[in-house]
Amino acid sequence: MFVLRSLFTSARRHVVSPSLTVGRVFPGCSRAASGVVKDKEPLKKAKTPQGRFDSPEERSKEVLEKFPDDVNPLTKEKGGPRGPEPTRYGDWERKGRCVDF
Amino acid sequence: MASVRAASRLLSKRVLSKTTTVPAASVQGSRNFHFSIYGKKKNAKVSDDISTQYPVVDHEFDAVVVGAGGAGLRAAFGLSEAGFNTACVTKLFPTRSHTVAAQGGINAALGNMEEDDWRWHFYDTVKGSDWLGDQDAIHYMTEQAPAAVVELENFGMPFSRTEDGKIYQRAFGGQSLKYGKGGQAHRCCCVADRTGHSLLHTLYGRSLRYDTSYFVEYFCKGVIALCMEDGSIHRFRAQNTVIATGGYGRTYFSCTSAHTSTGDGNAMVTRAGLPCQDLEFVQFHPTGIYGAGCLITEGCRGEGGILINSEGERFMERYAPNAKDLASRDVVSRSMTIEIREGRGVGPEKDHVYLQLHHLPPQQLATRLPGISETAMIFAGVDVTKEPIPVLPTVHYNMGGVPTNYKGQVITHTGGEDKVVRGLYACGEAACASVHGANRLGANSLLDLVVFGRACALTIAEEHKPGEKLSPLQPSAGEESVANLDKLRFANGNLRTSEIRLNMQKTMQAHAAVFRTGSVLKEGCDKMDAIYQTLDDIKTFDRGIVWNTDLVETLELQNLMLNAVQTIHAAEQRKESRGAHAREDFKDRVDEYDYSKPLQGQEKKPYDQHWRKHSLSFVDPKTGKVTLKYRPVIDSSLDEQDCAHVPPAIRSY
Repeated sequence: MFVLRSLFTSARRHVVSPSLTVGRVFPGCSRAASGVVKDKEPLKKAKTPQGRFDSPEERSKEVLEKFPDDVNPLTKEKGGPRGPEPTRYGDWERKGRCVDF
Repeated sequence: MASVRAASRLLSKRVLSKTTTVPAASVQGSRNFHFSIYGKKKNAKVSDDISTQYPVVDHEFDAVVVGAGGAGLRAAFGLSEAGFNTACVTKLFPTRSHTVAAQGGINAALGNMEEDDWRWHFYDTVKGSDWLGDQDAIHYMTEQAPAAVVELENFGMPFSRTEDGKIYQRAFGGQSLKYGKGGQAHRCCCVADRTGHSLLHTLYGRSLRYDTSYFVEYFCKGVIALCMEDGSIHRFRAQNTVIATGGYGRTYFSCTSAHTSTGDGNAMVTRAGLPCQDLEFVQFHPTGIYGAGCLITEGCRGEGGILINSEGERFMERYAPNAKDLASRDVVSRSMTIEIREGRGVGPEKDHVYLQLHHLPPQQLATRLPGISETAMIFAGVDVTKEPIPVLPTVHYNMGGVPTNYKGQVITHTGGEDKVVRGLYACGEAACASVHGANRLGANSLLDLVVFGRACALTIAEEHKPGEKLSPLQPSAGEESVANLDKLRFANGNLRTSEIRLNMQKTMQAHAAVFRTGSVLKEGCDKMDAIYQTLDDIKTFDRGIVWNTDLVETLELQNLMLNAVQTIHAAEQRKESRGAHAREDFKDRVDEYDYSKPLQGQEKKPYDQHWRKHSLSFVDPKTGKVTLKYRPVIDSSLDEQDCAHVPPAIRSY
């Protein structure tokens, strides 16, 4: 246990560069040194792309919501622009900006 | 600003001091690290022929493409595919070119939503160009459009689809069925809301398959380029050169273009003594955010937004009593400009007006125009539910450019005839094959890029073979460019680059924008000529040669100036209103016949008395003097049997 604890702390010191080993080290250690880890605060995930996508509730609410299955319910267009029809005012509009006319 | 930009770069620098001559042999060896020539590394020779202080690296290729936007990439890999040893020289990384900002769609008569015919698209484009477009080029573009879009889709561009899996097409401005009589056509294909971005990435990805050599972040002067990364000069010898450098929006104070849209190709062609065509036709949009240049959609006014001046007055009521703020774009732009000219503008310099939306219920704004509060906050720094947005008429597109025929070959007009300039081609926004004529239709410019990029590659493949012997070149070719570079690098006048540039932009915005009338244009021409002379008094600060953004911006300013003087002089000379060029003192189109009346019994006006012709402008780079010539519009299509040309008529929508 003592050995594992020191392994745990030394491993944490090396978690400066985001890497896949982070994920691998902690679960292993937390399983082994169970009593020690549960008392501590939840460990922050590294800001790697993996870390960000892991918790969808952190993402801010997008103004233009994606359609279910990416299919526009009115026009049945698949893979089209999100939100209301961009050409509804005669120009190509997105988020209030006109991009083509 | 130059030092901030330099500091933010992660590349290591070795400043090449004035007195060190880099020995020829060591350049390739010790500085290979900086070289970043992707592709073939052979045949780069260093020579001292031009100057011992600026050793020049000579490259030989079959074809050189200047610019790597949509058109440039398409031409570059079209040529590589045909087996030519191609170099693509670009001042930006390919996926950073301004094409990436084109979010609208691309028109093609695929006929997926309803029965469609490319001849109807042809008619719409000819009409949109106000009969200044060359009908053979328009025929070529609209006929090739379905094949071009299908080709893009085969390259992997993820167009949006209908339920059946065909490409989804939507209705977009100016497209009709049955030559204008069959109602709205659905012709615009798109990729979610980033068609240009996707196009550029698709083409770039595709081009990596071929053996094109990319020279990224090389700034071109002629086909001599300055490598910004290490300050070396490179000379590209090739039988064929394709210019695809984009537009020149940055001559105006308010434009939607990136800071890199500086008309480099137009300037190169001008310095070579060739003309530029139709530069006075610049497309404006009435409501662009002041400072940022992003356009606010007309839907804002459609939903009840109003334009107000410094007195808080809804001034559109005076200019268009019935339509008010919903008047057509050119009426709104002109009204805004007149208000500003008469001193009722807002802001510390009284040079813009306000677009007010806070009188509308916030819920309505959020549902009808989602994202607008975000846009207003990011680009204008205003809370759209409390404050008005500062707006002014903004440049969006340049219809004019380097004149070409429908095959993409650059032409000049001598002895009353079009003459092809051998070895030079142009495509994209930099070129003027004249498919857009006096006014561009929405979603046609992305089409223009791919069709004419491909056309340039095909024409070169038809007329030349890979590995052709290069014509002899004087050893000191390009000397002038290097001398100019040296002069600017050590310039020690009184005015900074940014000051001269701002003067030019403000003058163009005040005099050559939407509101054009004789006296205003004449005043503008005189001011621009004076500003051109101040280029001799320029002062630069960075004396280095590695990543010298001060030097690059000054070179860009020289290019912008050449474009600006041609634009304003051509606008001053053209005494009519056609398409995007609208004059208060000459409100009508002046054609060879008066098309608003029956042609029977009318006498045809001689060529020099009507204005249905292209302007060709030449500049003497030393004095800044502009000369204008004219060239007739090509009225016949490529195949009159297949697709008859459209005789001119009054343009009304």
